Amino acid sequence: MLFKWKKLLAAVAATGILLTGCGGENGGGSTKGGDPNVLKVGVTNFADTLEPTQNYFGWVVMRYGLGECLTKFDEKMNIQPWLAESWSVSDDHLTWTFKIRDNVKFSNGDALTADAVKQSIERAFAKNARAATFFEYVSIDADGQNLIIQTTKPLPGMPGYLADPLFIIVDVAAETAGRDFSKEGPICTGPYTVESFVKERAVMKRNENYWDGAVPYQTVEIPSIDDPNTRAMALQAGDVDVAVNIAAGDIEIFKGNDKFNVDEISSLRVVLARLNQNPDHILSDANVRAALISGCDRETYNDILLKGTFIPGKAPVPPSLDYGFNQLTDPNAYNPERAKQLLAEAGWSDSDGDGILDKDGRNLTLDFVVYNSRAELPLYAEAVQADLKKLGFDIKINTVDYNLIDNMGIKGEYDLLISNITTANTGDPEVFLRWYWKTNVDGNNPQNGSGYSNPQYDAVLEQLSMEFDKTKRRDLIIELQQILLNDGASLFFGYPQTNIINAKYVSGVKMYPSDYYWITNLIKPAN
Amino acid sequence: MEFIKTHKLFSFYSLLVILILFVAIFAPYLAPQDPYDGNMRNVLQTPSAEHLLGTDKLGRDTLSRIIAGTQVSLFMTICLVILLAIVGVVVGIASGYFGGMVEVILMRLADMMLSFPGVVLAIAIAGILGGSIANTIIALLIVGWAKYARLVRSLVIKLRNNDFIIAAQVNGTKTINILQRHILPNILPMVVITGAMDIGTMMMEIAGLSFLGFGAQPPTPEWGLMLNEGRQYIQTAPWLMIYPGMAIFIVVAIFNLWGDALRDVLDPRQE
Repeated sequence: MLFKWKKLLAAVAATGILLTGCGGENGGGSTKGGDPNVLKVGVTNFADTLEPTQNYFGWVVMRYGLGECLTKFDEKMNIQPWLAESWSVSDDHLTWTFKIRDNVKFSNGDALTADAVKQSIERAFAKNARAATFFEYVSIDADGQNLIIQTTKPLPGMPGYLADPLFIIVDVAAETAGRDFSKEGPICTGPYTVESFVKERAVMKRNENYWDGAVPYQTVEIPSIDDPNTRAMALQAGDVDVAVNIAAGDIEIFKGNDKFNVDEISSLRVVLARLNQNPDHILSDANVRAALISGCDRETYNDILLKGTFIPGKAPVPPSLDYGFNQLTDPNAYNPERAKQLLAEAGWSDSDGDGILDKDGRNLTLDFVVYNSRAELPLYAEAVQADLKKLGFDIKINTVDYNLIDNMGIKGEYDLLISNITTANTGDPEVFLRWYWKTNVDGNNPQNGSGYSNPQYDAVLEQLSMEFDKTKRRDLIIELQQILLNDGASLFFGYPQTNIINAKYVSGVKMYPSDYYWITNLIKPAN
Repeated sequence: MEFIKTHKLFSFYSLLVILILFVAIFAPYLAPQDPYDGNMRNVLQTPSAEHLLGTDKLGRDTLSRIIAGTQVSLFMTICLVILLAIVGVVVGIASGYFGGMVEVILMRLADMMLSFPGVVLAIAIAGILGGSIANTIIALLIVGWAKYARLVRSLVIKLRNNDFIIAAQVNGTKTINILQRHILPNILPMVVITGAMDIGTMMMEIAGLSFLGFGAQPPTPEWGLMLNEGRQYIQTAPWLMIYPGMAIFIVVAIFNLWGDALRDVLDPRQE
């Protein structure tokens, strides 16, 4: 029998060594790194290909420093020129003229003309139905370096729409000549070009034809490290020089370490749970929705569970954007007693004594669809599960792959579905407010799979879509938000800070609120 | 008493196993706090007098969750092992005693299962079925039955041609009675030994699947799931990984040692 004890001892010893081994690496950080020719960036990538018109893959094309649009947003979300150097709109607000820079070349050396831009935008419309949810045009014409867009109705948001990564300018001529963008990557105008791409790892090369200054790195390696903790450890170990979106639990490690720079800003994002209000779903009852929302202690989730890295949620648009956050009132602020009362009024009671409310033989069981490539999402879900259990809800958490989420949202295959959404991808919240809550008739507004419909809301939205005056736009957006709050349309959890962290031997790393610009030619070796 | 004296180690391990079973059965009374309901104002607290093993990301008491997890983990494991034994015995006897086409089909099926790497296949099955406790057990059952079936079949083939079986057959005993009276009691010790020695392995596999998200779902206090939840805080709240890990380690070690000792006690070869 003795040999067994020896084995056991050996196992204990081995575990001990393992543990101390981990302990040793924790505090240290790295001494290696700082290759002036190679930049390594740890990201999360959801794109299967680099075809900018497929799903939301354009985001990745832009984040990787590959593609550029006509316009872009600065750190205050003001629209700035990018590939277009200026623009103007006619007096009747129906004709937009964008002047394209004449010193820009695609990475293959072809000059960027207004005609190339026209073809690229038309390509986006042809390939992705989402393009038409931004704007619809009568004609796009190219006149030298001038791009002229005619619309049927006034579209105040046009310069912002064209900043969306869906409208990344690609060289359509190169595609016609035989390049397969989804396999070989698109030809764009950004500082880097694709050398190789698979979902897990991309390698970019310097674009020798770049128009806007020097490109510092010969090579950029971009591993996709989906697990937030692994990403943090890769940065600590020096496996990557830069990492995006380090989780709440780990960020303190970097803040207290003088080897790293932390750039943390309020994002334009909101974490929300869509509530399925289609007929026959439990949440079609407004009282149950109100009870659900008032049963969630959102301040605790954000201040305590997420250590203040999130601002507690209330309205659709985060307070970082000036759309009346403080003047909006949430009728469903945290109030468990009210929640209980509402449920009782709606006819729910625990008739079989199992701790779960029921009505007409149906339990108050809700399916909460979650994905976990963002660390906070499962945490919110479990906190909600725990809080609502006290009220008699039975929340079933269903963790699925990120790629399934979009489709489940469109088809309405959920009771609650968590999302982390940017609220101002075109510069203001109009598109966001339209996509997720405008009445969806036979799939004409596919992102609203929740079945939410309020004619008053649709009417104000219509007004907003044609309003050029900034103050009036703001008032309309506040009105829209208040309608959603009154209806208990969705559960708004909180507003994330977003961060990008780099080792100090790299400089110029910056996180923009709009979330599109990670790798730029401003990132370079520190000395 | 005589038994305890001659089998000291076995008795000692059995005592430990009984202790674990005791914890599992009376988990709801032993847990100092509610394993499901925490105070969200007290998240990620370091171990202290109030929370001996600290609190987790939702402010739940880690010690209470580990104790409650004993019940979940052990219940799953024992269910699984018993099911494996039942399926193995039925399939093994069917193919071993009757032979012919039944044997060919069942054993080729078993060969197929044995030729796959078990855990990978279990992950695939659990992934397709969706994560839940029942599905984990089903997945591991599909992967694991072949080993038991093989064992039982070989034992049955050995027994089948013994004189007492042939005598029973000649006497016109019903097949079902032969199986019950003569075959089953003779193969049972080996099946029990194999099952006992498998408890540790199966516990690890269940915890492994839960760790990967294919097993128990939150908020169930299952050790593998707790490890996965703690993983996010490995640098800032390491007790969330260390203690569930230790729980798995201790329980698996005890069951493995107990299984070995049980074999020494029951194995006819040693007599």
